[in-house]
Amino acid sequence: MAKNKEKKKVKHKDIKTKHKKTIKGRLHALGHWIFYVTMKFFGHQGAYLLLWPVVGSYVIFSRRIHRLTQIYLKKRFPNKKCYWFDTFKLVHSFSQVLVDRAWLGLNPNAHFKGKLEGLQQLEKLLGQGKGLIILTAHVGIWQVAFSNLPDLNVPVNVLMHYEEENAAKHYFDLRKQKCPFHIIRNDGFMGGLVEASIALSRGEIVTIMADRYVHGPYAKVKFLGYETRVPIGAYMLAAITSTPVIVLLTAKTGKINYLVKIWDVFQPKYKDKRNKEQEMQKYAQKFINALEEYLKIYPYQWYNFYDFWNQ
Amino acid sequence: MKLDLNELKQKLKEIIVRDLKLIDITPEEIDDNAPLFGEGLGLDSLDAVELVVIIQKNFGVQIIDMEEGRKAFESIETLAKFILDRQKEDQNS
Repeated sequence: MAKNKEKKKVKHKDIKTKHKKTIKGRLHALGHWIFYVTMKFFGHQGAYLLLWPVVGSYVIFSRRIHRLTQIYLKKRFPNKKCYWFDTFKLVHSFSQVLVDRAWLGLNPNAHFKGKLEGLQQLEKLLGQGKGLIILTAHVGIWQVAFSNLPDLNVPVNVLMHYEEENAAKHYFDLRKQKCPFHIIRNDGFMGGLVEASIALSRGEIVTIMADRYVHGPYAKVKFLGYETRVPIGAYMLAAITSTPVIVLLTAKTGKINYLVKIWDVFQPKYKDKRNKEQEMQKYAQKFINALEEYLKIYPYQWYNFYDFWNQ
Repeated sequence: MKLDLNELKQKLKEIIVRDLKLIDITPEEIDDNAPLFGEGLGLDSLDAVELVVIIQKNFGVQIIDMEEGRKAFESIETLAKFILDRQKEDQNS
């Protein structure tokens, strides 16, 4: 009897959640539709204008937004007492990136102006024929910038998880363009690392998001004064295959301008495999230091809206 | 010196134990058909990357395609057969 009651309760809860999800889903779809219609009739600029009241309402009425953004803002700006304006700037900047992506997706002829700092260095590293690992993070306008990298005459592979893969495919489907990079899924065979190492042995580029930790080996690093965990698979891959690593981060620098810049270059190595976590820690810290330098200049282009220090 | 299948399997086991620094197992204890990853030998994804490099360095065989890599990495048996096949192909070409 008790079991039956419990089952009914669970079922009722499921239906309620499903209903909520449907309403939430419909509201999301409505929001997207309004933005697409605005873009169609008023262009890129029109959608940017619409962002002001939308982001403003979120910041005024959503407690959740403040909870999620303040985890980062309190560490980045420890001396401030009020973070409302910073929250607005952070959410507004993220929303602009979403609009940009949608705008480029809807207009195959639209282009952003990109600048790559360190092209010669990039070409020199690729000239060694050892392949290259590009480490990046969820900052700036990375989707747009990476799909517009200059022709380096080397195939580019991106190690990413399923949702990001879908987003990338969706973006290029909308633009009716062939995806300029090959996607290696990190939930595939051996986390995609074997496929990545094969690509490196052919002298190709492998791009990896090195900020978010999900599972596997990790290192503890100091980021904005607090300890957090970051994945070390990328550094191990580089050490095993003797591949150089660059930290390449992108930033939105204007309405239709972006910057792609090399922030650090290094070659991970290890002496004792059994101490790989300890030995890779210094490389993980180097990556995080580069990220800190980036955030000194672009503090509102940090798009990890969760407790990064408890990942 | 060209190795036959059994010699190659033995050599692979020795190299894996030595280069992957496996401490709880000897080459003799490795079953030819046991899975290399997960429940079998217990290797992880980074060991798999090392294995790609080890095979290239010791046997001159490069894994260039993910599908052939996936099949080759099933066990010592499949890995040894893969290496022999590729060496034969290289000799013939």
